[in-house]
Amino acid sequence: MSSSASEQNAPVDPGFAVQPASATDRYFDYCLEPYKPRRPFTGRIRGENLFLHSLVHAGCAPALAPMVEAIQASVGRDMTVWGVKFDGERLWWELYFYDPQKQDANATISALAGTIAPWLQLASSVKSALRESVPYMMVSFDVSAETVARGSIEELNFYLTGSKEHAGRSFVLDASGWQLHNTYKFMEPKRDIDELLPLVKSSVFVDYDQDPSVLARVVIPQLFACKRVCVSKKRECDAVYYSGIDVDQLLWFLAHFRYPAPLVDFITARRTELDHLFFDVGVDYRQLADGTIVYPKTSYYGTL
Amino acid sequence: MQSYKGRFEPTRFEDLTVTVDFHCHSACRFCIVHEGMNYFRGVPFAKYTEAVDDNVASKRYRRVTFTGGEVTMEDSLLAYSEYARDSGSFEHIRLQTNGRLLKERAFVDKLIEVGIDEYFVSVHGHNAELQDFIAQRPGGFDETIAGLENLQAAGQLIMTNTVLTKDNVHALSDLVRTVARFKPARMEFWNYLPMEDYEDTRALIVPMEELAPKLVEALGTARDLGIACAVKYVPQCLLGEFADCMDNAQPDVVIVEDFYEIYPQFACLYEATCEYSETCLGLHHPYISKHGWEEHQLVPVPRTTPWREPEYGLALESDSPDGTRSQGPELSPWQSLIEGIPEKHGARVVDIMVQRRSCIYRLEVGDGASVDFVLTARDDNEPALLRTRSFNIHYRNLQGDDKKAQAAIIRTLAEVVRDRDTGGHQLDPRKGLIGPESIRRARKPMETNQAPGRDND
Repeated sequence: MSSSASEQNAPVDPGFAVQPASATDRYFDYCLEPYKPRRPFTGRIRGENLFLHSLVHAGCAPALAPMVEAIQASVGRDMTVWGVKFDGERLWWELYFYDPQKQDANATISALAGTIAPWLQLASSVKSALRESVPYMMVSFDVSAETVARGSIEELNFYLTGSKEHAGRSFVLDASGWQLHNTYKFMEPKRDIDELLPLVKSSVFVDYDQDPSVLARVVIPQLFACKRVCVSKKRECDAVYYSGIDVDQLLWFLAHFRYPAPLVDFITARRTELDHLFFDVGVDYRQLADGTIVYPKTSYYGTL
Repeated sequence: MQSYKGRFEPTRFEDLTVTVDFHCHSACRFCIVHEGMNYFRGVPFAKYTEAVDDNVASKRYRRVTFTGGEVTMEDSLLAYSEYARDSGSFEHIRLQTNGRLLKERAFVDKLIEVGIDEYFVSVHGHNAELQDFIAQRPGGFDETIAGLENLQAAGQLIMTNTVLTKDNVHALSDLVRTVARFKPARMEFWNYLPMEDYEDTRALIVPMEELAPKLVEALGTARDLGIACAVKYVPQCLLGEFADCMDNAQPDVVIVEDFYEIYPQFACLYEATCEYSETCLGLHHPYISKHGWEEHQLVPVPRTTPWREPEYGLALESDSPDGTRSQGPELSPWQSLIEGIPEKHGARVVDIMVQRRSCIYRLEVGDGASVDFVLTARDDNEPALLRTRSFNIHYRNLQGDDKKAQAAIIRTLAEVVRDRDTGGHQLDPRKGLIGPESIRRARKPMETNQAPGRDND
């Protein structure tokens, strides 16, 4: 089934300038940890094209693409993590900026606020409560069609390192102030299975004793073959993130969670141009009273 | 990461299986290529003879197995087998068949004449009622039994194959007793693998809590009757005292490339913690999706050695149902590529594994240190440490602390292979060997097996 990148048919016009891979590209996962690409870059394209295409598909490219370019110019190419989020109906995005060692003045939220100011403003309530003295290793914010219409960002997410059990914690800063939001724990799926299973099953949102197949709905076999998993406990659901999957697993994920067909088609058409990359995906889940597992949000990630 | 278990690699590289074509006169309810028979063609004769001719020179394969569909329906089977026989390059020629057409003794004699000396016969029910229900062909069971009688009368080596499904799980011990009188060299039990019906709409997948005790009982019956058994695609930890019957090996299969795309993948939560993880595949994804990970039922056997993500499956010797062993493939051309070099670096070649798609040199480099030096077919589109005329060169499974010494030997070996490779070495990058010419018509795109955002609507 596979063919070389140069052999495949030219895909339909995606509506934006597809960015080719180059010798200067760097490869990072969604934690901005470097990885070695799976194939040579020649004849292939950058992962950011998935993000740009999703903006085009959602009609948000005119408003957001220039801002993204400005961010890229400011913090550097490949240094911003993007996430495409989907709740079954609506797409939106999250942009993440890592700088745990505080080495890049442009990656602070104060500096980023200035970078994006021509397009989006931080809400004044957020701005006034913002403290750079918070020891955050990463900061993120959502952007969406609504954000664009409003012209402002109403909340920020700050990620701090945490305890052994919950190695990462995120706090949201919004008009009501600071609140603990999510906890995260990263593990190797196979080697750390004795830690992984108890943590997944330690849940108020899912009853794992009710139906033996439930675990497979959240520790998903098609994604289990990955480099790292992250178990997250959130306010209204649990989540598992799968890091370091290949393009075929990404396509399975997108089809399984019924992402809009044009997004799937874009990646399918360019599958061999993307097979040098690893991708990361996230699955939020909780259980309904009738036992059904529902997925309030799923997401996939790359860097730009 | 994605080990060979996720990719379903062949592991018995001295055996070659050739899919002559995809026609069948039965309609087994579990057929894994029910739809595929509409899409796939077999191996063109010219492509097949190329492989045989190559084997005359390379002695890569010791056995060729013909399969289908139901391969006895193919008029060309005799020509395929004659060509293999006349090449003199195979020790055994095996037929994988439902045995129905073997009811004619003259046909059996013809098969023997063209060189076939091993018969792997499918028996899925212990009696006509069950087998004919499964195969949906009244009278089929009696034909198979007549075929087995003919084979036995002709003194041929018989093996049987039983696919484990909801339909026959209750009758496995009876099936062993039915088959026993033919004195099979081995009975194989292959757990059903959905290759098209991933959602198991045919309700054929047997939950392990039901399958394992019935299978263990049947294996006990076979042991009592002196019949050797092999089991595929059942977690090894569920076989109890019969764990040694686990044999997930598969030969190198010449088949349309797309076939590998529809093979289910496997996983087990306990892969890194279980002693059996090198030989056991775990559960296939459609099983896990339907019945769960079986995290309580599967009991990992504590490991005695550290676990490493397997890069490739075990390299197993040619199948030997009659217990005989003979020399493996011709290694000298591959030995000569690196001859004299490892020793200069205080290293030792522990093993050379020649497969159709790669040649792996397993090297010991000092105390407890090891590395696999790997040659694959040259492909400029794939990553490689170095490319030679014939090969992409890689290394894998680097173990030990003295990275400097390992780097030195890898670098030297790569340079030596580059200098010694004259371009005549044959490795094939493809899994199935047969490309688009064997697609009868295009498949529909594969569909996801669950509803959006809900797990069990």
